[in-house]
Amino acid sequence: MKLAAALLATSVLFFTATAQDTRRGSVPPPPKGPTPKAVDGHPDFTGYWRDDGNAHPHGNIGKDLPGFKLPFTAAGEAAHKFNVEHTVDPESRCLPGSIPREDAGDGGFQLLQVTGTTVFLYQYGTFRVIPTDGRKHTEDPDPSYFGEEIGSWDGNTFVIDSVAFKDVNTWADENADPVSESRHVVERWSRPDVGNLHLELLIEDPKFYKEPIHFQRSWVLAPGRETREEACTENNIDVSAGHLGPGPGSIRADGTRGYDTLAPLPPPPSKSNPAQTILPPGVKNLN
Amino acid sequence: MKVRFAVAAAVAGLIAVAPIALAHHSFAAEFDGTKPVRLVGKLTKIEWTNPHSYLYLDVEIGGKVSNWGCESGAPGALSRRGFKKGDIKLGDTLVVDGYLAKDGSHLIDARRVTLPDGRSIYGGSEGDGGPGDPGSQKKQ
Repeated sequence: MKLAAALLATSVLFFTATAQDTRRGSVPPPPKGPTPKAVDGHPDFTGYWRDDGNAHPHGNIGKDLPGFKLPFTAAGEAAHKFNVEHTVDPESRCLPGSIPREDAGDGGFQLLQVTGTTVFLYQYGTFRVIPTDGRKHTEDPDPSYFGEEIGSWDGNTFVIDSVAFKDVNTWADENADPVSESRHVVERWSRPDVGNLHLELLIEDPKFYKEPIHFQRSWVLAPGRETREEACTENNIDVSAGHLGPGPGSIRADGTRGYDTLAPLPPPPSKSNPAQTILPPGVKNLN
Repeated sequence: MKVRFAVAAAVAGLIAVAPIALAHHSFAAEFDGTKPVRLVGKLTKIEWTNPHSYLYLDVEIGGKVSNWGCESGAPGALSRRGFKKGDIKLGDTLVVDGYLAKDGSHLIDARRVTLPDGRSIYGGSEGDGGPGDPGSQKKQ
């Protein structure tokens, strides 16, 4: 009975915490307190940060635009069509998500800030290293997934200026929106207090977008969490066995991914309702 | 009964606050949301791997047995929801509810795994836009 009461109390606590947020999966409120300072006097962003549950539609770089409509150029429209119809999600192939996708997705990340360098540790072994030693962009940087990233401080705001990206295998977000190799991305990160991290993002990509794209979102501190080992190519049969199709699948009118209508699953089995195998019509149980 | 309710509620609560992981791919890019499947079968292989874990079941219908793969979240995601490696062993009977792969192979997306101890665990990958996904439900 004590066990039942404890579990019920735990459940109520969790449900209460999540009810304060805008969608399921959100965490309890982050810790409160002043912004920590690094040894150089700047705000220290070190910590594990996870989505605050308020980014709607998540994984969509156009979430802050009216109707979530991105201002595609003709080339951008064509690139989007190509991604949807012919490109298997680069992240599912274990390629780095790049920027802005890592900023738009739902995955948490760990930030490590040391003198002269800031490091982002993402899922699936992806990382980015941002120099903050005062260097400038080089004359002819090698193209890479995250581009040539230069960090600097604008007061208490950490600014990352990125150029020189690869011209293939990159989606701007989970919806397969395109970005070109010639984009210029400016991230402005701030930590207004100990528990919150905020990003204001600018994407200038005149090859694919008629206007610069502005995007902002926030993360909350997740004490005790860290980026874990995830060997992305360990057993990636979705790709190696060809199960995964091109594109992100259907995009709903609200800017999220998925089917508008789903056939429901049967209710969970119980002793009074024992389970038996149910296959869709026409599907045979043959190897 | 009260204990069972409390356990179920606590499990649901734990699922609700499970940290969101980045979906490795969209649900709709691989699985057919119009084709729900329930598999009841004996566990023949377990792969606690990335980017997905897989449970393989021998499913018998009318005396014919076929092996099915059930794709679920990565080991870390399942573990945080309370589904641990020690909860299952080869030969156990599992009930897995999910959706058929669009390519028609014997692969389903395991949205719900009912373990031998009776617990039903959410098996999907958060952020994939699939049913039950806490990261990308249509905004209510």
